Amino acid sequence: MSVINFDFRNQVIKHNASLSYCYQCSTCSGGCPVALLTNGEYNPRKIIEEAILGLQDKLIEVQDPNPWLCSTCQKCVELCPQKVELTEIFTLIKNKCFEEGKYPEAFHAQGQAVLENGIAIPYSKAVLSRREKLGLPIITTAPIEEIKTLLRQTNFEQNIIKREAE
Amino acid sequence: MSYDLFLGCVIPARLPFLEASSRKVFEKLGIKLNDVEGFSCCPDPTGIEQIDHTTWLALGARNLSLCRNNGGVISFCSGCVETLKGVNYFINKDLTTKKEINRYLQKVGKVYEGKTEVKHFAEILYENLENIKKNVEKPLEGFKVAVHYGCHYLRPSEIIEWDDPFEPITIDEIVKALGAESVEYDLKMECCGNPVEKSDRDLSLLMIDNKLKAIENAGANCVAVVCPACYQQYEFNQRELNKRNNTEYNLPIFYLSELVGLAFGFFPEEMGLNFHRIKPNELFESIHF
Repeated sequence: MSVINFDFRNQVIKHNASLSYCYQCSTCSGGCPVALLTNGEYNPRKIIEEAILGLQDKLIEVQDPNPWLCSTCQKCVELCPQKVELTEIFTLIKNKCFEEGKYPEAFHAQGQAVLENGIAIPYSKAVLSRREKLGLPIITTAPIEEIKTLLRQTNFEQNIIKREAE
Repeated sequence: MSYDLFLGCVIPARLPFLEASSRKVFEKLGIKLNDVEGFSCCPDPTGIEQIDHTTWLALGARNLSLCRNNGGVISFCSGCVETLKGVNYFINKDLTTKKEINRYLQKVGKVYEGKTEVKHFAEILYENLENIKKNVEKPLEGFKVAVHYGCHYLRPSEIIEWDDPFEPITIDEIVKALGAESVEYDLKMECCGNPVEKSDRDLSLLMIDNKLKAIENAGANCVAVVCPACYQQYEFNQRELNKRNNTEYNLPIFYLSELVGLAFGFFPEEMGLNFHRIKPNELFESIHF
């Protein structure tokens, strides 16, 4: 059984007050390409409903519906008659999943790459030679120590490392 | 006219030929692009932002703090543009956020006030439509183009502030100015499915399969995109879909800059079109281009 967590609900509303405008009309789910293709298994309206009710365990622990299936196409945000900022709320929920270490591996891999290289895709030898052939300049990316300092400030490094230790 | 150039990760480090055509087209139009040292990942609005919004803002603001050009900064990638426009949006919307992000930036000797203007390269092309028309030497006759806008070029409209979020016109107009036909097709405004690949590969493939089917049904002979994620989704997955479903997709995918370059009379090789997985040669032969 799901338990209402008022603290969680208040955290979401404090982060994004537009949550309280939702009257559950389901326009978001009607326009959602993923809801259509998963026969409603992924359902933006339901995520918002669970957030309004403060069902932290459903959203973060069980992840039903799975917030990682959102394609970030932003249609729901455009369509919402109440101007609920759905994807900003989904981002907050996913950020909380991240803090708990409950997120898909591909996101972790990208986080790790940025932490280690400052960029998501390091330059391979093959690409560097292809760049030369195409007459493209050499790119000087961010000093990695500077990026690490910044990512320690935001707790990103700690959260990425925490997952590796698990 | 000149802009700072934000390259991001996917284009320069995986698809450098898209950078080559884009740079050549801007040079031909007389628009100077200034390379800036020290950028990091934008970072990815479908990746890093989803796991840590604050980190996304901090890295994005650091990138913008390096821009010096009065014309602002442009990118060839819709994801980078959404991130950089998003940073401006969130920093200017809420003073607490701006102060928090600058507190982090201070630790690395940077400051960002939220004033750098950010544009997508296709915005600049559209603003230079007359200039483009003047430079067309080889009109793209026979090109039946399915224009794929992609999501992040348009939405959220409150952040992007460019074109219409559901009935856009800019890229169609550019394609038509090159002498090509823009073919209407079902699902034109649907997502390519690339961001879902990180959590569900089958679903991601279903999304692109549906789009490719609609594009073929409409009689288009190629696709135009303005985002490297969309480009990869369309190009890299056709072979996989053919293997899985016995389809016969063989649809050339062009970056908008490549179509402009072809119309300007650049040779396919000098733009690196030979690096495409789906070679456009067959198409060129069939339409005598």
